[in-house]
Amino acid sequence: MKGLAGFFRDLGRNKAILLMVLPGALWFLIFSYIPMAGTILAFKEYRISRHGFLRSVLDSDWVGLSNFKFLFSTSDAWVITRNTLLYNIVFIVLGLIASVAMAIVLSEIVNKRLSKLYQTGMFLPYFLSWVIVGYFAFSFLSLDKGLLNQILSSIGIDPVNWYNNPAYWPFILVFISLWKGIGYNSVVYLASIMGIDRSLYEAAMIDGANKWQQIRNVTIPMLKPLMTILTLLAIGKIFYADFGLFYQVPRDSGTLYSVTNVIDTYVYRGLKTTGEFGMVTAAGLYQSFVGFTLVLLSNWVVRRFDKDNSLF
Amino acid sequence: MKKRSPKAMGAIALILTAALTVTACGKSGGAAEGTAEKPVNLIWYTIGAPQKDTDKVMAEVNKYTAEKIGATVTLKQIDFGDYNQKMGVMTASGEPMDILFTSSWAFDYVQNARKGAFLAIDDLLKSDGKGIVDTLDPAFLEGSKVDGHNYGIPANKELPAQTVYRFNKQNLDKLGLDYKNVKTLEDLEPILKANKEKNPGVLGLKMDNNFTPFVPYDYIIQGLPMAVALDGDNSKIVNVLDTPEMKQALTTMNKYYKAGYISPEAATTTSTGDVEKTGKWLIDLATTQPLADNTWSASLGYPIESTPAGPSIIYNWSVMGSMQAISANSEYPEKAMQFLNLLNTDAKLRNMVDSGIEGTHYKMTGDNRMENLPESKNYDMPTFSLGNVMLTYLNPGDPDNKWDEFKKFNDEGKNAPTLGFNFDTSKVANEIAALQNVKAEVWAPLMTGTVDPAGYLPRANEKLKAAGLDKIIAEAQAQLDAWKASKK
Repeated sequence: MKGLAGFFRDLGRNKAILLMVLPGALWFLIFSYIPMAGTILAFKEYRISRHGFLRSVLDSDWVGLSNFKFLFSTSDAWVITRNTLLYNIVFIVLGLIASVAMAIVLSEIVNKRLSKLYQTGMFLPYFLSWVIVGYFAFSFLSLDKGLLNQILSSIGIDPVNWYNNPAYWPFILVFISLWKGIGYNSVVYLASIMGIDRSLYEAAMIDGANKWQQIRNVTIPMLKPLMTILTLLAIGKIFYADFGLFYQVPRDSGTLYSVTNVIDTYVYRGLKTTGEFGMVTAAGLYQSFVGFTLVLLSNWVVRRFDKDNSLF
Repeated sequence: MKKRSPKAMGAIALILTAALTVTACGKSGGAAEGTAEKPVNLIWYTIGAPQKDTDKVMAEVNKYTAEKIGATVTLKQIDFGDYNQKMGVMTASGEPMDILFTSSWAFDYVQNARKGAFLAIDDLLKSDGKGIVDTLDPAFLEGSKVDGHNYGIPANKELPAQTVYRFNKQNLDKLGLDYKNVKTLEDLEPILKANKEKNPGVLGLKMDNNFTPFVPYDYIIQGLPMAVALDGDNSKIVNVLDTPEMKQALTTMNKYYKAGYISPEAATTTSTGDVEKTGKWLIDLATTQPLADNTWSASLGYPIESTPAGPSIIYNWSVMGSMQAISANSEYPEKAMQFLNLLNTDAKLRNMVDSGIEGTHYKMTGDNRMENLPESKNYDMPTFSLGNVMLTYLNPGDPDNKWDEFKKFNDEGKNAPTLGFNFDTSKVANEIAALQNVKAEVWAPLMTGTVDPAGYLPRANEKLKAAGLDKIIAEAQAQLDAWKASKK
């Protein structure tokens, strides 16, 4: 009983901070923890019972792991896993480099008004839906009316049928993904740079450090904790592909599947007509399980080298 | 923490039991319900964009139905693009509903019947649905049986499906050519060639990425390559991409594509609506019904003429083109059936649901004729989806014998070899999911002629085989053989 009293004393002492945590905690409880019970659907063949949802879940037959089979049993399994992983690794690495670089450049702009203008300009694509981005891309890449092909033909090069040529798409997708996401991430880093104690730079300047040396020896080391945390979080999502990017932007063109088919689009195409909830749940569970394992693993690696920067 | 956990477990168990009892007890109700004084309310989900005046119209409908059968309805509409997904989630999560729209192309009837979304209505049809049984062409109820049971009521409308080539007359006339001798895809070539030369900017063969040239095969599942020949040996299920007819069609399509008769972006075009608006096209493929040329010309705003591309066949999917089912969790299945019975037999109710309130949304111009009033824009329903189409009043411009034409069309249709057979895919669900992916990859490029079948087709077939096509065909064949044996 003593433990309980201590618990309430703790509550009273920290009530302001706990109150701040409450909305977020509730959100996680309702949208993340309670739905976790639904993962049992991954092991069932879901059939509707006339007595409501709970009875449907309970009455459906157990089928073991057979809902997972469609993710592994085909020739596409290798392609979708490779595409999902490679694209996400590239996005994580390039995204990190590009947004940190952008943040540093933005922080060095003396004119505050211009700096804000650039920030806003870079941030804007983040708010666009993938459907709109898809049409943006189409206005550039359309075979007969696209801007790129008109430029190409005006300088005497044959127009390219972009949506039928897988070779270009890894580059197009990486470019569009960076273009859309970089603004958001660089603002996060920019905020962190703004928080760096100015006296560190003054001390560096007195020691005779030039701009480049200041960045290398002050800014980047100060950003390292944030970089580690954001990267670790990104690794947790490495098995989730951005559906809109891989489905809307290539206009679902069949000839591009070898470079655009990822786990999420595969699941969507395979199940949109049958709508087997068990198989959909299985795919989601598989993605989270791999993500979870990878976060634990990379966190463990980070902790081996630098205990302070690890997540937990 | 360890000390408290049994208590927490107890609480969770309590909540679960409470939830179960609540859901289990949901059905007990008063005894005197379902009369004109105390009507029961039915929840009805159907397809189409929600309309502004729905509540107003339903208030009128409810006065009528309360009087007739002691039931009122709450009509909820979900737009075409969302219907499949939203209804899938709602039925799976046990959302209360009594009547719902289902079909072969949106919220798949066969699969959802097997998943348990609908109530089997064999007995209800006998007790409360006599009118339906008497009105419908028997082929409708026979062709929509799933594993021997009826789960939905098909709308009485055109029964067979026939593919036609449609010609945009204003562009065809400029060429001085006739379409009357066109019988096959290859016959189109001289017309397309002339169009390319004489009508610059006019698209020869209009299509989107769902296009499939007509071949005389009956698909086991719409959009997947397992099929049975319409003529000849129709007991064997084959891969349609392996058939000589399809190979020839794909070669022709590729020839047309290379010649510039087809949009270079056909394989990624999701809608040809904008081309239809400009009228800058010559030929496309469509599924016809009686008087279709008139309907098309009226809705497009320029004259359309058509000629058959294949025979008129009653397929499973054409029988199941528009159905209303009773939900498995319906609280008042008898009332739901009585309502559907009335909807399919009572012209007053049928037209009210379809066109709204007389004097507000439409006016009568004859015994069996109506004309829309300007207000009808606030209540514009998809007529085909709401039960017996042959009860609806004629529009201006419809000939008096419209429904006779439909009956004639229905009588002339030939039964497809697999009419009444529904493939149960539950044993090959993994293979189907994989096959859907390969199909999405190879289908549109092949069908639109974007790729040369000489090199691409063997690779496509290899991928289909790797996805498990042979296993699916073997399973379907076994089921088909068993079904055929049971019919003898």
